[in-house]
Amino acid sequence: MSELILYLVISPFAAALLAYAFGKIDKQIAFWISEILTLSLFIAVLYLFFHYTNPISVDINWFKFGHFSIPIGLYIDHLSMVMLLIVSGLGFLDIHYSHDYMAEDPHQPRYYGYMLFFIGGMILLVSAKQLSGLFTGWELMGLASYLLISFWHEQKAPADSGVSAFLYTKAGDIFLFASLGLLFYYAGTLNMVTIDHLATSGKISSHVSFVVAIFILIAALGKSGQFPFFPWLLRAMEGPTTVSALIHGATMVNSGIYIVARLFGFYAAGDALIVVASIAALGVFVGATSALVQSEMKRVLAYSTMSHLALAFVGLGVGSLAAGMMHLSNHAIFKALLFLGAGAVMLSTNDTKDMWRFGGLKKPLFLVAIFMAMGALSLGGIPPFSGYFSKDAIFATTIATNHGDIITALTLIGGLLSIAYITRMWILIFAGKPRDIELFNAVKTPSKFWISLPLGIMAVATLVLGFFQKDLADYIISAKYIEPHITHMMPVILGAIISLAGIMYYFYYLRLDLVKKLIAQPLIKSIHNILLNGYYVERFITWFTHNIMVDFLAKVVTYIDIHLLDAVIDGTNDASHVVFNRLSKTNTKKSGDYTGGVIFLVGLVILTVMIGARA
Amino acid sequence: MSAFVLMFFATLFSLALHRTFVFKPFVLLMIVLSGFLIFLKTPVLMYGFAQSSATNLFLLVIFIALLAFTLSEDKEINITQSLFIGAASVLLLRGTTLLTFVFSFEAVSIISFAVVGHIRSSIQADGAVKMFISGALATALIVLGLALFTFGGGNFNLSLSNIHFNALMEVGLWVMLAGIFYKLTIVPMHSWAADSYANIKPSSAALLSGIAKSVVFVAVLKLFEPFFIQTLHVSIFILIVLSVLTMTLGNILAMFQKRVGKMLAYSSIAQAGYMLMVFIAVKDSYAQIGLLYLAIAYVFMQTALYLLLDNIGGGISDITLDDVKGLVKKDRLVSLFFAIQIFSLAGVPLLAGFMGKAIATYAVVDAGYWIVALIALLNSTFSIGYYGWFIKNIYFDHSVKQSRVISVSTSAKIAQIILLGGTLFFGIFAFAVFHTSFCSL
Amino acid sequence: MIYLLTIFLPMLLAGYIYLFTRRIGGAKYIALALFVALFIEAWLTYTNLLPSGYTMLGSYLDVKRFDFVLTLQVDRFSVIMLLLVSVLLIFVTLTSWSVKHQSAYFSLLIFFAGPIFGLFMSTNLLWFFIFWELTLIPIYFLIGIWGDKQRIFAAMKFFIYTHLASMLMLLAFFLLYKQSTTFDMTQIKEGALTTPALIWWLLFIAFAIKMPLFPFHTWLPIAHVEAPAPVSSLLAGVLLKMGAYGMIRLVVLMLPHQAQKYDYIILILGLATLFYAAFMALYTTHIKKMVAYSSISHMGLVAIAISALSFSGLSSALFEMIGHALIISILFVIAGIFHEKTGSWQMGDMGGIMQKAPYLATLFVIGGLAALGLPSTIGFIGELSVLISAIMAHGVWLAVIAAASLLSAGYFIWAFRRVIYGKQSKVVALTNFAIHPVVFGALAIFAILVIAFGIFPQFLFSGIDRAFDTYHLLGGLA
Repeated sequence: MSELILYLVISPFAAALLAYAFGKIDKQIAFWISEILTLSLFIAVLYLFFHYTNPISVDINWFKFGHFSIPIGLYIDHLSMVMLLIVSGLGFLDIHYSHDYMAEDPHQPRYYGYMLFFIGGMILLVSAKQLSGLFTGWELMGLASYLLISFWHEQKAPADSGVSAFLYTKAGDIFLFASLGLLFYYAGTLNMVTIDHLATSGKISSHVSFVVAIFILIAALGKSGQFPFFPWLLRAMEGPTTVSALIHGATMVNSGIYIVARLFGFYAAGDALIVVASIAALGVFVGATSALVQSEMKRVLAYSTMSHLALAFVGLGVGSLAAGMMHLSNHAIFKALLFLGAGAVMLSTNDTKDMWRFGGLKKPLFLVAIFMAMGALSLGGIPPFSGYFSKDAIFATTIATNHGDIITALTLIGGLLSIAYITRMWILIFAGKPRDIELFNAVKTPSKFWISLPLGIMAVATLVLGFFQKDLADYIISAKYIEPHITHMMPVILGAIISLAGIMYYFYYLRLDLVKKLIAQPLIKSIHNILLNGYYVERFITWFTHNIMVDFLAKVVTYIDIHLLDAVIDGTNDASHVVFNRLSKTNTKKSGDYTGGVIFLVGLVILTVMIGARA
Repeated sequence: MSAFVLMFFATLFSLALHRTFVFKPFVLLMIVLSGFLIFLKTPVLMYGFAQSSATNLFLLVIFIALLAFTLSEDKEINITQSLFIGAASVLLLRGTTLLTFVFSFEAVSIISFAVVGHIRSSIQADGAVKMFISGALATALIVLGLALFTFGGGNFNLSLSNIHFNALMEVGLWVMLAGIFYKLTIVPMHSWAADSYANIKPSSAALLSGIAKSVVFVAVLKLFEPFFIQTLHVSIFILIVLSVLTMTLGNILAMFQKRVGKMLAYSSIAQAGYMLMVFIAVKDSYAQIGLLYLAIAYVFMQTALYLLLDNIGGGISDITLDDVKGLVKKDRLVSLFFAIQIFSLAGVPLLAGFMGKAIATYAVVDAGYWIVALIALLNSTFSIGYYGWFIKNIYFDHSVKQSRVISVSTSAKIAQIILLGGTLFFGIFAFAVFHTSFCSL
Repeated sequence: MIYLLTIFLPMLLAGYIYLFTRRIGGAKYIALALFVALFIEAWLTYTNLLPSGYTMLGSYLDVKRFDFVLTLQVDRFSVIMLLLVSVLLIFVTLTSWSVKHQSAYFSLLIFFAGPIFGLFMSTNLLWFFIFWELTLIPIYFLIGIWGDKQRIFAAMKFFIYTHLASMLMLLAFFLLYKQSTTFDMTQIKEGALTTPALIWWLLFIAFAIKMPLFPFHTWLPIAHVEAPAPVSSLLAGVLLKMGAYGMIRLVVLMLPHQAQKYDYIILILGLATLFYAAFMALYTTHIKKMVAYSSISHMGLVAIAISALSFSGLSSALFEMIGHALIISILFVIAGIFHEKTGSWQMGDMGGIMQKAPYLATLFVIGGLAALGLPSTIGFIGELSVLISAIMAHGVWLAVIAAASLLSAGYFIWAFRRVIYGKQSKVVALTNFAIHPVVFGALAIFAILVIAFGIFPQFLFSGIDRAFDTYHLLGGLA
């Protein structure tokens, strides 16, 4: 078993090098190496899943310095297993899909190398035993994300987006890095399971747990594209859509939730869950409302990702590990499906992202439309799709826990709005009449095997998984999961969902002209602009980093350095020049003047000696 | 026959050999023979003279420097005069009484005037006249001091040890020291040196500043040591002020000079400050060895640099920094000589200058005046400013068209190799100095 | 005797090469052979070390007076420094493969090898000083002759400023000798000193200038910027390490009680350096200045690690020193190549180099990522171990160190954006980035080392740890 886990962690990195090196010979080799490897990973994970009895642990000593040693062990339990299934399964489908999606690109070896590198980082993250290993995976993944977002680095937008992605997440990561040191100090270990136990049993004081938990939460929020770090997630859409699907829809962004889930006891002991719930509830609302008005489909999906991951955070924050992780798993599948579906649309329409130019695409892209509809239903929370169950569980727990009306309200509104924006998106793309005839006529039907098959698998999965939600929840918490019962919740929620869908149907299918009129209203227009720009969070952060950090702080430091510290040093040159010029005047070049010095000296000497002799 | 006698007669005889091909070989032979006599420790055999291993070592160093001078110099009269300086040095370093000191000091001085008498331009005339006037003044002060000393009841035909000094004797000795300090370019009596050393023919400056000055320094410490030890409680303040002033002023004024000769002249003043600093620590066991080391190093460095200056300029005294720009592209070897001797002056290790400065500074630290040592060391940092600038002109700059630098003869290069050897030897093999002492043999 | 030759043979050889190989060439091969031989020698010394304490290599020039004895003794710490230095010298030789005026250039490099080996082998403080000071000379020439436009100013400033540091150090050594009558650093007992605080401060400032720590750092950026690229890596990789070596060996291990008394001074200056230099790097648009400030910032980390005054602190400081040497060397050389090819220092003038020179750009990215502390590179291990030892020694507020890696991410990622990625600038489009394969090979090997030691740090730590494991028993170190 432990060999298998080592294989899981190491092989993607090795394969990444191989794919890159041999891909130079023929691009197809790079693809096939990746395809075979990811398939083997998935099979290996399935094997592990079916043969799993107890948590599997591999101890590796990384390094030892002074009296301290830092291990980098591996640990697989139910939580990791769920994540591994998601990563390897979706990873395989994504690579398979890439065959056609990336077919035209000259840099395929690099692409597959990065992708495998990413999968390796993700597997390392979810199977790490200690925070050191987790952080390594965390950062490697971040690097892969950066490189893949900037995959088309010769263009301005992807290059800029990569910078944002790296720096926004890094701003969170430093808190995780700091908590490595803090936990080493307070807990004496980096083993996450041990830390959980220590906190639960009160060995770590709850104040410490609270602070460290908040630190880790900041990193988690950064990585998961949550408020206020979400702008990078929007910009990340500049990368290839396969990357958006796998990294920024289904896997990497989940790692923030994973780490909170992994340290769930620690968070509970430190009373930090309320903070998680509060920030996340805000994220649910901000994401969902912003998604309502976007015109690019990938941006809709990105905001939707933000909103849904926030929902998962809320699930954890209100104290239900099962609900949060269930939603994470379900979301991973349907979001990957939707992203890849959007990718299929883009592939068929020559990379068009603006939904207002589509319309009526369900005819040429029938399969894609069907599968995306299934994904949309799951996302919107329609039973029996899996999305319904987890969302329902989160709603129920939130209401039952009642951390405050605002949290509950924001969560419910945001969660329900998902049906609105996804309906809007689907209608704008697939229904109605084509709005851009030229584009419509040029649509190519994508390959069934390479493109539609993975979509189909995911669509079926998101449907089938709906029937196994109880089992999934039991598996995650290794106990019987009991959902809190709220009277009349189901009919109310379903009613709200259906009426929201109806409203969207009315506006975007029947009376599209009304939408344009509405937006022209001054009040609506300003709200629309706020939402379109994601509440201007990015603009504020950009202003802060550019104007405060660089143009003020760094500039002041530089000014001090040049005009004070260095000026003092360089000033010695000028000062000695001045002194030199003054003193040069003592050299009058007249012999007579020189004797003055002698008389002075002799006088001084005699005086001193006389005084000295008297004394 | 002692080295003094041999050198004295060689001086006279060499006059007869001028303009013959045997002149240089004869002079070289005489110097080598005298060095050999020193090595054999042959005494002067007159009253008031005694030798010690330290002075013998220093005399050997002087003779090696004279050897190099002879090889490098082309003016025969200068060589003859340099022989006389050698002869006088023997007396000066071996003298044990005030009388012998004054006598041989004047011998060195007189020949100094003769040396600078070689005048080819108005600049050199200026330097020579200032030299003469200052020398006369110094002599007057020395004689005045001697008179006061005698007036106070001192006997100038004895050494200064075991004497109780009364106030008049002290004043007399101080007046005498004022005259000597005048020659040693101690601030505020330094200005003449800046003009003279820079204006006279550089090879003459090599003799005066490189050899004569260090000989006088060692002789002063040797003779006046008992006096300084007895009166240190009075004189320490003066000595500290004078040495700090001298080194600081010398370094500052050397900083932005355009003429190489002037820069070296001020650097020589600064070096005098370092040497005077040792007198503060006169009670310390490292004082004598420190001064001796400084003087030995100084003989090699300063002589070599002024001779090089003479060689590349063909005897003119106003070579500027612009002239030496890009020298390395014309002659790698000469540039290397310059660089190493300059680094030695700057106190870069494994060269004699460093050891000299280090031991002298340590003597001061050992005596408890670490602040003075700190000032000296900071001064050394200061001096990097112009030493480094000089190196920069040679190595980092491109040469200018109107450079007056000429090529250097082989015998001059051999002379430089001898001096370089000295700088390196005393930089590494410190035992040569450490194993000597000033105790009479 | 072989060790005496190690020091003095290069110095003699340098003179020979300078004067006689100008026409026949081949200086670089001699240099390479010599440095490889030095590496082998250092390695053999390492394997033959005594298990603890010093291993005597010889004692020469025995002058009892003034303790002028060239005592060569090494322990694990100094041999690790020797190994680092010889590796860097090989690197510098390879990356200077097609430099101008080869006989002079390589003779200076060879000359440098002598005193730097002497420095780490000598335990006599007087000789320590001698070698310390001698290393300045070749660097002074290397900057002054092969440097960029402001090379003269840079060389002079370097020479004067570092000489100032040397002078303070010399005074401290003299006081040590006066108070303990020996120059041998292994014999000096802190308890016997009468003015330990004065000595500590003199030594601290001297080494702080060399490391350099804020506010004594101003000589370094200009020296780095003006020096030719391989010399910059020599400066960062060796000269700054001399400062850190002195800081550990003399300021901390020799005077442990004073160090304990003033450890907060080292800590505060270290922290100040870390952040101050990072902000400077954030603001500059000059590619080599940015690398230079990043280098200074990392030396702040070393100082923080030293200030922990613990076994683990010293281990992590040494690890960080090695990591810094490898990383910064890559960055300096590549920044130099970019400048040499494009003719500009401004990052704004570059852009899109990844498209013209993908492999070179990749190496730059690897170096930058290592410098910003990405896990699986040597930079992360250094940062993590420094963070942990600092927190364990001084308390949790030192978690603030983590914030520095955001700043370094800021300037490096933006540098990648401006220089490597994006559209090709006009200059870059016209430039041919072909470099000598030897240069590329050297860079690639260093990049591989950066990653290899990042994944398998225990390989280094197992040697480093044993360098300090005896000291915590002797001095006041915890």
